[in-house]
Amino acid sequence: MIDTQWPRFMVFQQEAVGKPFIHNGTVHAPDIDMALLNARDVFARRPQAVAMWVVPADAIYTHTREELSNQGARQPADQRIRELADYFVFAKFDKQDQCRRIGEVQADSPQAAMSAAIKEFGSRDPLWWWVFPKSAVLSSAPEEASAMYEPAKAKTFKDQAEYPVVTMMREIRAKKKK
Amino acid sequence: MKQPKALAEYLIALADDELILGHRDSEWTGHAPILEEDIAFANIALDEIGHARLWYELAAGVTGTDKSRYPDQQVYFRPAVDWRCLQLVELPKGDWAFSMLRQYLFDAFESHRLEGVTASKHQPLADVAARIRNEEFYHLRHTRAWVPRLGQGTEESHRRMQAALDELWPYAQGLGAPLPGELELEEMVPHSHSLFMLWSSEVTQFLIEAGLDVPKSGGCVEVDRAVHSEYFPALIADLQEVAQLDAEAQW
Repeated sequence: MIDTQWPRFMVFQQEAVGKPFIHNGTVHAPDIDMALLNARDVFARRPQAVAMWVVPADAIYTHTREELSNQGARQPADQRIRELADYFVFAKFDKQDQCRRIGEVQADSPQAAMSAAIKEFGSRDPLWWWVFPKSAVLSSAPEEASAMYEPAKAKTFKDQAEYPVVTMMREIRAKKKK
Repeated sequence: MKQPKALAEYLIALADDELILGHRDSEWTGHAPILEEDIAFANIALDEIGHARLWYELAAGVTGTDKSRYPDQQVYFRPAVDWRCLQLVELPKGDWAFSMLRQYLFDAFESHRLEGVTASKHQPLADVAARIRNEEFYHLRHTRAWVPRLGQGTEESHRRMQAALDELWPYAQGLGAPLPGELELEEMVPHSHSLFMLWSSEVTQFLIEAGLDVPKSGGCVEVDRAVHSEYFPALIADLQEVAQLDAEAQW
């Protein structure tokens, strides 16, 4: 079967300047520029955003707490990347929580970045780890923030809470019973 | 305000374009080629309808009508012959290429118009234009991303885009015709003919870069906005059907 699905991109959102970027979900897109546009449409309806990142899902190297306890940090298998690069480190600490940025490391491969991340932040014992190179990120431009995120703030009609359908139906049914 | 009638006519024409384009866009909801685009286009449709509302409300202010009721009256209870939208926005949604290209052609023109109106000496007009412009910036970014990708994508996407352009181009030339009331509002609003020149060279270059053959144009076509396409009566009937079942219903 031919896979006609577009590639997946992870979407990260920053709710206020100075706050950590948080993983918000995924979008499909033909390329990373379209992914950023799609991310804005799918996720910025919730108005708390000042910036967004999209990252190709296959650029993210992951580890879970379970994997680590089973086998320790995996041995570097992929030796292709040998140049030192900056990596973002993201972690999720609780099932209810979202994966959030906890720091940065420098490394010459995703595996080495993971090892460095675990060494530096391992005492915090997250449920899972993500590392990805800074160069894989496409970020929304600060000068576009107003057009990207401001309009959603005035659009309360896009918020589910705006529609008291459940209470309305309850009232209607109660009337009918009488 | 010296020319309230002319300004009201001008605003209604702006609003009608947005409302009908938003209505056609909304027909993609649940039918777009991929989920992300479905959401994106539904958002654009909502934005356009929201912009129509802003213009109708401003028109209500100019004519001294109840601002809270006026948009609904205009949209749900006005006969088709009294609308002043361009035939460009009335055409059925066609395929994805057609709707995307129409949105681009329209928004590219609108961005120039809004820039001009934002500088209007009539402050309420300038304020609304500035508000709308912030959202239109994003629409244009979206359609400008799609048009070249479809134009230079696959053989099929290119063929569909070219067919859409051939069909839309003559209708789009009407964008530069002065709006109702415009000629009496000198100094207050930009001249459509000048906007058309900017638009025409900009979109022609962009479409060529997107791999499309731009049909020959004899320049801006003067259009009568009181004359509608064969598709318009059915669109209005569809739009107004539910509201007219019970005009007093509370929503």
